[in-house]
Amino acid sequence: MTVDGDSGPLEAVRRVDGAREQNAVLFGEFHDPSLAEAARIAARDGLVSLHLPLVEHCARRFRNRGEPFEDLVQVGTIGLIKAIDRFEPARAVEFSTYATPTIIGEIKRHFRDKGWAIRVPRRLQELRMQIGTTTAELTQTLGRSPTPRELAETLGCSVEEIVEGIESSNAYSTLSLDATDDGGEDGGFSMLEMMGLDDEELEQIEIRESIKPLLEALPPREKRILLLRFFKNKTQSEIAAEIGVSQMHVSRLLSKTLDRLRTSMQESV
Amino acid sequence: MERHASDKADITLRVPAEGAYVSVLRTMTAGLAARLDFTVDDIEDLRIAIGEACALVLPEALAGGDLVADFRQTPGSLTISVRVKTSGRAQPDYESFAWQVLSTLAAQATAETADHHLEITFTTDSSLALSEQGPGAGG
Repeated sequence: MTVDGDSGPLEAVRRVDGAREQNAVLFGEFHDPSLAEAARIAARDGLVSLHLPLVEHCARRFRNRGEPFEDLVQVGTIGLIKAIDRFEPARAVEFSTYATPTIIGEIKRHFRDKGWAIRVPRRLQELRMQIGTTTAELTQTLGRSPTPRELAETLGCSVEEIVEGIESSNAYSTLSLDATDDGGEDGGFSMLEMMGLDDEELEQIEIRESIKPLLEALPPREKRILLLRFFKNKTQSEIAAEIGVSQMHVSRLLSKTLDRLRTSMQESV
Repeated sequence: MERHASDKADITLRVPAEGAYVSVLRTMTAGLAARLDFTVDDIEDLRIAIGEACALVLPEALAGGDLVADFRQTPGSLTISVRVKTSGRAQPDYESFAWQVLSTLAAQATAETADHHLEITFTTDSSLALSEQGPGAGG
């Protein structure tokens, strides 16, 4: 294959010719019984990568129908492999001509088999498809998302039917608990991961909330000791030095205060 | 600004205060919004918003009570109130995910609590009406 500077139609023709040549060589190797198994498999792999753009082209025709493009390429590739295995170069048919129906057939079969998560009448399935494409078109021309009335006018049906169609599309894919939101950078979280567990802190909230008024009711000195001990993490001796009483006294005051809080808590429960 | 004649509860829907009936409200909302010329995107937002509003009031509802939804239609906007009977005075959780979503999706969202009743009201505007009005217009 020659690649030179000019990128005119001539070069495109050359490139196609190059691919055609490569195709013929690879098929020759693939069907050559004198070659080792490994070499023939390598030729087959080469054919698959050579014709992958064809699969992508076919898959692109089925975009915006609710299935991820990558999935379509994947099933289309199965069709491609089948076509490679069955193709007979002696028939003098272009490989792409032979492979395209096989690839498209495989993609269509994927839609038929996988398709709807919940069975929906055919009429609605078709309507949903039309709504999907028309919504995309109208969004483009209007510069905003269309209203059901606009959709109904374009498709020639009633607003009711549009609403019904939109409703039915919720049945196309039921949301898996393990489905990830692919917005995140590190793969996103699955629904299941996003679902909350009971937060152990929640129980603490109740205690904290009920203790608040009790704390407010404490004499200032007791409150201060409590704050210093439990919020500022000071030792009893540090507290003693700070308020100017003995450590023993701090200890007594603390245990008395805690006792008082505990009993009032139990009374209030 | 002149008050529209339709500034009254145009439609009231009463369903049992159970999660299973929220989908009925959702469908109802979508149908109404379609009639009011909301865009497809607006309708999706509304469906989510009403779901979240219900999620806020339902936990407070008395067992066996009703969930009442009022739909007030004005040109280009839809105001929906959902209310339940509660035991005592119930506050919606303003920190909750549901409230965050609701207040983001709706143009305006308020909660009204009184003895034995909790009501959440939110208004959503059709983005079609907004774009036709233009940024300068309004009253």
